[in-house]
Parts: sequence; structure tokens; C-alpha cells
Amino acid sequence: MTDTFVHIAQLNLQYAQQVVLDQLDWQIHRDEFWQIGGKSGSGKSALAKALAGLEKTSGTIRIHFDRESSRPPRVLYVSNWYQFTNLEGDRNFYYQQRYNKQQKNDTLTVYAELTAYANSENLSMENLTPYLDLFGPADLKNTQLIELSSGEHKKLQLIKALWLKPQLLIVDEPYTGLDKASRQKLNDFLDGLAADGVQLVLVTNETDLPRCINRFAEIEDGKLKQVDSAWMLSKDISRTPKELPQFLREEPAFSGDLLVEMENIHIRYGEKQVLSGVDWTVRKGEKWLLQGPNGSGKSTLLSLITGDHPQAYANHIRLFGHRRGSGESIWEIKERIGLISPELHWYFDKTASVWQAIASGFYDSIGLFRHVSYEKQQKIRQLLAFFDLTADKDRLITTLPLGKQRLVLLARTLIKNPPLLILDEPCQGLDQSQTALFNAVVDELCGFGKTLIYVGHYETQLPSCLEKRIVLEKGEVQVIEEINELAY
Amino acid sequence: MANYFNTLPLREQLNQLGVAEFMDISEFADGVSALKGKKIVIVGCGAQGLNQGLNLRDSGLDVSYALRKEAIEQKRDSWKNATDNHFTVGTYEELIPTADLVSNLTPDKQHSSVIDAVMPLMKQGATLSYSHGFNIVEEGKQIRKDLTVIMIAPKCPGSEVRAEYLRGFGVPTLIAVHPENDPQGKGLAEAKAYCVGTGGHKAGVLRSSFVAEVKSDLMGEQTILCGLLQTGSILSFDKMIEKGIEPGYAAKLVQYGVEVITEALKQGGITAMMDRLSNVAKIKAFEVSEELKTIMRPLFQKHQDDIMSGHFSRTMMEDWANGDKNLLQWRAATGETAFEKTPAGDVKISEQEYFDHAVFMVSYIKAGVELAFETMVEAGIKPESAYYESLHETPLIANTIARKKLFEMNRVISDTAEYGCYLFDHACKPLLADFMKTVDTDIIGRNFNEGKDLAVDNQALIAVNEAIRTHPVEKVGAVLRKAMTAMKAIKTA
Ligand SMILES: NC(=O)c1ccc[n+]([C@@H]2O[C@H](COP(=O)([O-])OP(=O)(O)OC[C@H]3O[C@@H](n4cnc5c(N)ncnc54)[C@H](OP(=O)(O)O)[C@@H]3O)[C@@H](O)[C@H]2O)c1
Repeated sequence: MTDTFVHIAQLNLQYAQQVVLDQLDWQIHRDEFWQIGGKSGSGKSALAKALAGLEKTSGTIRIHFDRESSRPPRVLYVSNWYQFTNLEGDRNFYYQQRYNKQQKNDTLTVYAELTAYANSENLSMENLTPYLDLFGPADLKNTQLIELSSGEHKKLQLIKALWLKPQLLIVDEPYTGLDKASRQKLNDFLDGLAADGVQLVLVTNETDLPRCINRFAEIEDGKLKQVDSAWMLSKDISRTPKELPQFLREEPAFSGDLLVEMENIHIRYGEKQVLSGVDWTVRKGEKWLLQGPNGSGKSTLLSLITGDHPQAYANHIRLFGHRRGSGESIWEIKERIGLISPELHWYFDKTASVWQAIASGFYDSIGLFRHVSYEKQQKIRQLLAFFDLTADKDRLITTLPLGKQRLVLLARTLIKNPPLLILDEPCQGLDQSQTALFNAVVDELCGFGKTLIYVGHYETQLPSCLEKRIVLEKGEVQVIEEINELAY
Repeated sequence: MANYFNTLPLREQLNQLGVAEFMDISEFADGVSALKGKKIVIVGCGAQGLNQGLNLRDSGLDVSYALRKEAIEQKRDSWKNATDNHFTVGTYEELIPTADLVSNLTPDKQHSSVIDAVMPLMKQGATLSYSHGFNIVEEGKQIRKDLTVIMIAPKCPGSEVRAEYLRGFGVPTLIAVHPENDPQGKGLAEAKAYCVGTGGHKAGVLRSSFVAEVKSDLMGEQTILCGLLQTGSILSFDKMIEKGIEPGYAAKLVQYGVEVITEALKQGGITAMMDRLSNVAKIKAFEVSEELKTIMRPLFQKHQDDIMSGHFSRTMMEDWANGDKNLLQWRAATGETAFEKTPAGDVKISEQEYFDHAVFMVSYIKAGVELAFETMVEAGIKPESAYYESLHETPLIANTIARKKLFEMNRVISDTAEYGCYLFDHACKPLLADFMKTVDTDIIGRNFNEGKDLAVDNQALIAVNEAIRTHPVEKVGAVLRKAMTAMKAIKTA
């Protein structure tokens, strides 16, 4: 058949004892653009990687590249997880690194990275310009890779892919970390690519897709199963609510009323103004939603609260009643905060087991460096049970599906029962049903005197406990308001 | 200025060399309180200065930077480092008189002139701290009697000092109080507090002395760390070329091999490194390393003797005064070696291949680590100090060679290390000339196991394993590494 582009037959893939793909057959024809979705852990990323030749499989994978086409006869797989190295070739990063200023560059700039990519892929820098638009108005060309937020990193990966225009482009979770406007732009670009002779496979459960997507499938028992539309893809089973462990029903030890007081905050890096004139007060028990487009300064604002930003010392900030820079250590601040952020997740200790990762929350360390007392071990045991993670406790956190990894990190933030929870895009990279599960847990937790700051892009996918909203735009506060109903 | 060590009676020399006590975490229970509310002024804002300062401030201490006038006027990198992170920056005159503790984190070569400028401005009873004791011990710098002199020496590059702190950990650190300058008896309490402020107490702290730190640091850097790795790289490469191994392959095997091999060393000592070899290869490597140790021992002893007598630092400082004539000439020569000029080939070498094809390199590194350790201990340095300055730091330099090869490696290490490295290299190559004639590609360049019946004699293997595992560097290493288990992922451990 001449119009068959990809021919997969009898494909098998196994991780250790677990059969992931079992005699899987799949044909991609020239006019087909696929979405692969379904439950987490079903093998969709594995199939995508296998198609790109990145997994050890048995069976047949034949790709009939068009030799006449001007598009490179290549399969490009854009992973859900980016990796980059510093100038010295290793990856010894820490999540706070982008806030610490050093004159010596640690990583390439975006521009240098793109130039190197152009050289290795024989691309012309002139054709790059339209895609840079995906970054939005901010000019990031001279920004170092380590300074990019997770959303910006995702965009950089996508820009490279759009620019290369390979004959087969596979994107794993294309929308992770992207705000609404960027998602729309990306869909337009992908439609443009499709019209331009690029075959697409998107691994996602989203329903807001490029128009060209016309085939939908999921993996069931290791085989491909086609469905009629994105809405028909299987969802993860929702979790039966459990009783919170006793230690989380106790009011966290903090007696004051004001947790965060910020006055007229200004943060700039050289010429770049990141925050200007921000005033914000967070009181005990409040549940805040923090929003704003990519690059509006949300993460920087939070880093001032978590003790991760050196410029906190030059601003008027009071945390838990103490003026910043009055002799407190960052560890005293962190003790009272449970934090999740995409960066924390990315740079988390890759050698930690689930149990160690949760235990490290007692000490606010990335990785476990200390002995854990019996009493603490009991709390870990209760949390593992609460999150249905007991069976996974000795596994490396990196071997779990993304949704479970986030639950582990949530457990880590809770283990010390902190007065303030800061959940910065905790559902980034999770699909709708995983997100619903995660948010249900957040709602359960947020009684008992806890204060919450939650960052989320998708208006439809938020915990229902949120009651106040602060919106940043280009580093300034746009809106502070009560949330009456989540109907926007 | 007289060499401080040489002014001491033998009894006191031995006394100070022998300070090495691995401190229990409970000794740091007072946290940073000894420095709380005090003014810390750091002189210099480079690799150590900036990162130590960021940590100290994040630990609740009051930190500012005194920079030389030119650096402020010209807005040099040191000025930018400090101001971009919103520290107060001022001249010596502005800041030093207010300081309760002045931390000298300028390059060692500049210490004498920096101290001359800073000391008259320091207030009565203040504290002066260092991260390396060369100035005090080798240059014999006399510090005003009312001042307390302490040392906090992180055993990692500045970037790691920051990275590990923010992960909630720290890097192994040596602390010391100079016995000539502790008029109020507060030195140790302040050194401990400073160490807590940088996070070092979580990764293992060795109570040392200025003398022990300097004499062991000099010995380690010029023999095993820089000198030996340089000589080993050049000899291995030249041998492979002589025997017709493809140059790109040879260059890659050496450049990245040192890093891969010492990664095993970092995680599990010499035992783990040797265990990566097959049994036959291990026995061979053991024999080769014994032979190398016999040949090189006098050279290691000469280096240690010259360090102890002050001959080394005197001749090096003469070269400083002479505009670094020797240093620059030797540096240029390093840039001209065939290894330096041959780029690593575009060939794939598997992790295991780096061991199997480089039995000589493994033997050579084993010989170097053990000799440096043994020689230091014989000279009166305690095993704990000797471990940090030999085995512990070897992977760090190997990592630098993998990234930059020899010429650049020599430029990033301190001038002191670089000078000693060339001395060692120049003496070691002729010393090994005859031995190298016996070396063939079975131990460097090709797979040692190939074509061999891999059977070994039980007794022979047991004896070799026993000798490897019971070496004193393995015993002390096992204890110290345990305190640093959490460092598995960082650059040097
Ligand atoms: N690097 C390591 O791995 C390491 C580890 C442990 C201990 N140490 C010790 O830490 C100390 C500092 O080393 P480093 O590696 O951090 O040095 P570095 O990165 O070279 O920084 C030196 C700083 O001192 C300033 N400086 C240079 N010459 C000066 C002078 N004549 N007067 C005043 N300031 C001067 C420089 O700023 P300007 O030139 O702009 O003035 C720069 O900020 C040394 O004692 C070293 O032995 C280093």
C-alpha cells in the first residue's frame, strides 16, 4: 500500500517483569493525524518512544519516508521531560538555581542553544523567527537555559520541533505548562505543519486539539484500540476518599494571623523587570489562586515566600511575622511551608525511593540525608496508606507514572503538617482525571487551619476550596478578588 | 616572613600535623549562634566568596563584601556577583572597620598583600578567617595578637558549596583555629558557627589545624591529584600511539577514562574501582600497581620532604616574584603535548570498556592514591586528613580533565597546585621510562580479557583482594564516606 506511512506489526515491549506492549499492530496512513491517550501507565509514552526508535522492542516498525519530500526523513520525539546540561556537560542542577546570580554562565543561552541546533540540523536561523513567537512577547534569546521556567522549556522543545519539520513528529504531552494563549498558538502551528507534509502523533488526553487530528486511540492490554473521539478515551478511576491521618487533622503550629506580607515588591534582573510594585497579604486559613500568563512572574513571587530568592533581602517582606533579613534562616521559613513546583520536581533527587522522598519532607532537603525516628516513620506509613502508595514505597520515584510522582511530592510537603501549602502548577503534565484526583485530595486536606496558595492555568481544573484570586500580568498585580463561584 | 612551620620545635610540629578529629554532628548543636548578629565582611567575591556568602546569609547571618577599589570602579564580575544578589558592597575602608569577622576569600597568591591592606583596618578583637592556610603556614604571615584566626575550608568548588546547601545538605569541610591567634578562646566556636552557616556540618567536618591542612593539601594536589593524573594521561596516550592504536580512540579513552574510573573510586574506594575489573585483570592491575609504587615511592617522599621543609613553597614564591616565568613556560609546554592536541575521536566507548581497556590507568591511579596516602601518614599527617587530600579529591580533578583536558585543568586549579603538578610530572616521566618500555597494549588500549582463559587461582585472588581491602586508606575511607553517603550525586565525594 503506497499510502501507508508507518507500519507496526506484532510489537512487544517489556519493562522488567511488566508487559507494556503485547503484539501491538498499528498502521498510520498519509492522511491520518493521531491522538494517543488513555489511562496513565497504559504504555502510551512507551509506544511513542518505540515508534521513535528509543525503546528496545521486538516486532516490526517500518516507516516509509517520502524521498521526494523536502522535509527531513526523520522521526522526532519531543518528550514530556526535557533535559539539558550545563557548560561543563553535567546536570547537577538545583531548583533554586535560576534565582542565584553568577557572572559565570552555567548553561548556554537560548540563542546559543538554538544556534547549535541549527548547525547540527542544517537549519537556517532565518526560518526560526515565526516560531519564536510561541515564547510570547518576552525576548528570551539571551536568557540562560537554567533561568527558563518549566513552561518556557517546554516551548523551547516545541520550537525546535516546529522548526525542524521532520516527516514524523511525535509530541508527548504537548500542552504541559502552557497557558491558554500558547496552547492555541501551538495548535495553529501544528495545523500548519500538518498542511506542510508533517505527520503528527500527539500523546495526550486533552480534547482541545489541532483541527487536523482525525484518529484517536488508546492502549488496552498492550494493544492499540481506536476510539471515535478524544472524549471517548478512558479515564483513570477516581479515588475513594479516605479519612485523613490524625496528625493532619491537627491545626499546624503557627499562632499568628499574617503569614505573608509583601509591600511594593520590585525584582529585576539587569534590564528585565520581573515584578514591580506588588503588594500582597496572605492571612491564616486563606485559600489563594495565583494566576497569570507564562513569564508574568508567578514563580518569582512564590520564590520570595519560600526563601529561595536572594533578592528577598532587598525587599519589604514579612513571613510568619518576621521581617526577611532580620536574622532568620531559610530553613526556619521552609519548615512552615510545603512546596511543590515543576522545577522542584524536575531537579528532584533521581536516586530517591518513594519512602525517602516523603521522609525528606521532614527536613526540607532534596533527598534524604538523615536518620528518621520511629515517630516520623509512623507518619510516613500513614501517608503512604492515605495516598495508596504503600505498595510503591521502595520504588524509585522516577519509575512511577507522572501522576503518582506528584502525589509522592504532595505527601512530601504534607508530612510535617505545615501551616502554608504552596502548590505551584502541581498538576502540570497530569491529565484531566489525574488532576481531578489530585485536587480532590487538596480539598480534603485544606480544612484544619491550613493556608493554601495554588497556581493553575486551566480554569476548569482547580480545587474547589479556593476563595481568593490574585492575577499577575507582566510582573504587576492585575486583579485581587474574592472567588464567589468558579465560573469564569 | 619566615615559614611558620619551620619556626616550630619538632614536638609542636608533630602536634599540629596530628590534629584530625572527625566531629560528631552533636558538636554543632549551637548552630550559628556564635556569629548571630555579628558583622561578617567577606573580602573577594569569586567562586568561594560568593557562594559561602549566599549560604551564610541564608543561614541568618549578616554578610557584606569588601572589594578592592578597582573592582568596584570597573564594576568587575566580583562586584556584579555581589550587587546582583543584593549584598552591601564597599571598599576596605568603608567595611572592614565595622567587621566582627573578616573572611579572606581572595586568591592565595594575593593573601599577603590583601592582609597587609586589611589588617590595620580591623577592629580590636575581631576574627580573621581563611579557606586555605597557605598564607599563615608557608608565608608565615604574622597576624595582630588581638585578632582570632580561623579556617573553614570546604573540600569542594564554590558552586557545589551552594548547590548542596540548597539541597539541604552541605560539602565536607575542614575547620581549624590558629594556635598563635586565639586570644579570647572563641576561635573554635566561631569556626563551627561559620561551618554551620555554610551547611558543612551536615556532610562531615574534620577538625584540623592550619599546618595539617596546608601540608596535606599541597602534597595531595601535586602528587596524586594533578601531577599523577597528568603524567598518567600523557604516558597512556603516548604508549597507545607508539603501538598503533587509533589516535582519536586513544585520546578519548584517556580523557574520559580517568573520570569513569575514578567515579568507582568515589563511590566505593579503591576496592570498588578494582572490582570493576575481571579477576585476571584485577590480579594484573595489582601487580602493576605494586611495581609502580616501588618505582615512584622515592618521588612521593621527595615531594613530601620538600613540602615539609618549606623548600617547595620557597622556590614557588621565588617564581611568583619572577613573574611566573617557570609556571608559564611549563604551562605552554603542556599545551603542546600530543595528547592535548589530539581531539577525542567520535567513537563509542562503553562504560565497562574504560576499565577493561585501561588496566594500566587503573593500576596507576591505585598506586598514586595509596602512595600519597601512605607518604602523608608516614610524615605525621593523620589518616583522615590524608584521605580528604588524596582519594576524596581525585574524582574532582578527573572530572575537570574529562571536560577540559590537561592545559585547561591546570589553569582552573590554583597556581600552587599547578606549579607542583609540573614539578611532579617532569620528574615522574623519566623515572618511569624503563618501566614504560615493558608496557604493551594489553594493559592500555585493548581489552585485557580478550583471548584469555579468565580462570584464576583461588589463593592468588584471595590474597590480592585482602591486600586491596585492608589498606588503611580503605579503612578510613569507609568511615568517612558513610558520613557523606548523601553526596552520591555530586561532583566530588
Ligand atoms: N576554588 C576552590 O575549589 C577552593 C576550595 C576551597 C578553598 N579555596 C580557597 O578559597 C580562597 C578563594 O579562592 P577562589 O577559588 O574563590 O578564588 P577566585 O574565584 O579566584 O576569587 C578571588 C576573588 O578575589 C578577588 N581578588 C583577586 N585579587 C585580589 C587582590 N589582589 N585584592 C583583593 N581582591 C582580589 C577577585 O575579585 P577582583 O579581581 O574582581 O577584585 C575575586 O572576587 C582561596 O584561599 C582558595 O585556596 C578554594
